[in-house]
Amino acid sequence: MEEQAIIDLAIYHQLKDLMGADFLVELIDTYNTETAALIVQLGKALASCEAVSFERFAHSIKSSSASLGALTFSQQARELEMMGKVNDLSGASLKLEQLVANFQQVKRCLEELRDEP
Amino acid sequence: MSRNVTPGRLLVVDDNKVNRLLLGRGLEQQGHRVAFAENGRQALEMLHQCEFDLMLLDIQMPEMDGYQVLEKVASDLNLRDIPVIVTSAMEELDSIVRCIEMGAEDYLTKPVNPVLLRARIGASLEKKRLRNQQRELISRFATAEVAQDLEESGFTLGGRFVEATAMFSDIRDFSTLAESQSPATTIELLNTYYTLMFEAISGQGGVVNQMVGDGLMAIFGAPLPLPNHGEQAVRAALEMIELIDLFNLDQAATNKPTIRIGIGIATGQVIAGYTGTQSRATYTCVGDTVNLAARLEAHTKVAVQPILIDECTRLSLSESIQVENLGPTQVKGKNQEVTIYSVPVRQKE
Repeated sequence: MEEQAIIDLAIYHQLKDLMGADFLVELIDTYNTETAALIVQLGKALASCEAVSFERFAHSIKSSSASLGALTFSQQARELEMMGKVNDLSGASLKLEQLVANFQQVKRCLEELRDEP
Repeated sequence: MSRNVTPGRLLVVDDNKVNRLLLGRGLEQQGHRVAFAENGRQALEMLHQCEFDLMLLDIQMPEMDGYQVLEKVASDLNLRDIPVIVTSAMEELDSIVRCIEMGAEDYLTKPVNPVLLRARIGASLEKKRLRNQQRELISRFATAEVAQDLEESGFTLGGRFVEATAMFSDIRDFSTLAESQSPATTIELLNTYYTLMFEAISGQGGVVNQMVGDGLMAIFGAPLPLPNHGEQAVRAALEMIELIDLFNLDQAATNKPTIRIGIGIATGQVIAGYTGTQSRATYTCVGDTVNLAARLEAHTKVAVQPILIDECTRLSLSESIQVENLGPTQVKGKNQEVTIYSVPVRQKE
């Protein structure tokens, strides 16, 4: 993913202007920690074929990612959410792997933005 | 963002910490005090513990979801007035509709736009403030029972048949008394009289729904049902006479005039409801039972008895209340004689 595509900079900067730079540092750190934990839970839900939990964890990732401007990543989480919603987790494993890889990019990108002067 | 919003105490309910942080920050920047809950169960616990002006509620949550919270809030008399704004993804339109149908006041789509957040919160808090103001007004000009009936059933002109007991009471020779006193003394006397009567009537579950000069009308059993409404009315009447006796002792001690009252009570079917116009209405009861109670009150002067009741009221009394049968009596305004009873003020032990 290109940096532009990873984080929508317009959303990010609007958030920074409205909420303040200090708050955004706290927000990014929280997002990175929480999303990593949600991805672990998503994997567990998939392993035990719990579609309802799978849907809820994916929904949660989708929601907070969109708030921070990680729109493409949010869209990927949405696809997983829908799989849980229709109770069909076939093919979810591959998509989850992609989500894990993309999260690393989102995380790195947010950290770079966070450390910007 | 020029409009000033009155700060409120808000509860943000969301299982996602990032969403909680974001909403909380936005609201605190607007001057609100914010508390957080991570799921529906925790939110309900907090709602029971502290007072909140508004709740921002996520739908999908573990343990107890937004729908379950809305259901609990709607069925809880203490919580149902708290405005709820549902926060949800745009694509969950069906869920939003369901939430609005379940009582949510408004919704915000996530990611929440801060300008929209401010506007929606401001509007909801303002609506709540107006509702509180209205309720305060209603409670000032209507009885608590009427206010509760209005809140539960809504306001519609029109009536329904109810089994109830009507009571009329007034002060004997009040006009003569009023002419011999200053207006201020007369009003003070009336205020004391009404205070005492209200205490006796509401203490027995009755509702004073009309006050005209020195007379009042009370209903037992409407707008809210009251078991043993006949006996409750008679017990209230006995208390009223007792309170007037005590009041007279005070009056006599300070060389002020004493008063006597007459009370008429009748039981049966009444038509109860709101009469008037859409813009100005009052809760009242009408019908033969109400007329008979008014006639019995007038007849207390003729019978020289302080409390008169009709046959239906007597039949509703337990043995602990003694009555005296005055036999079939021609009451003014009635074509046929009615059997009436006097209730002695001094009840035998």
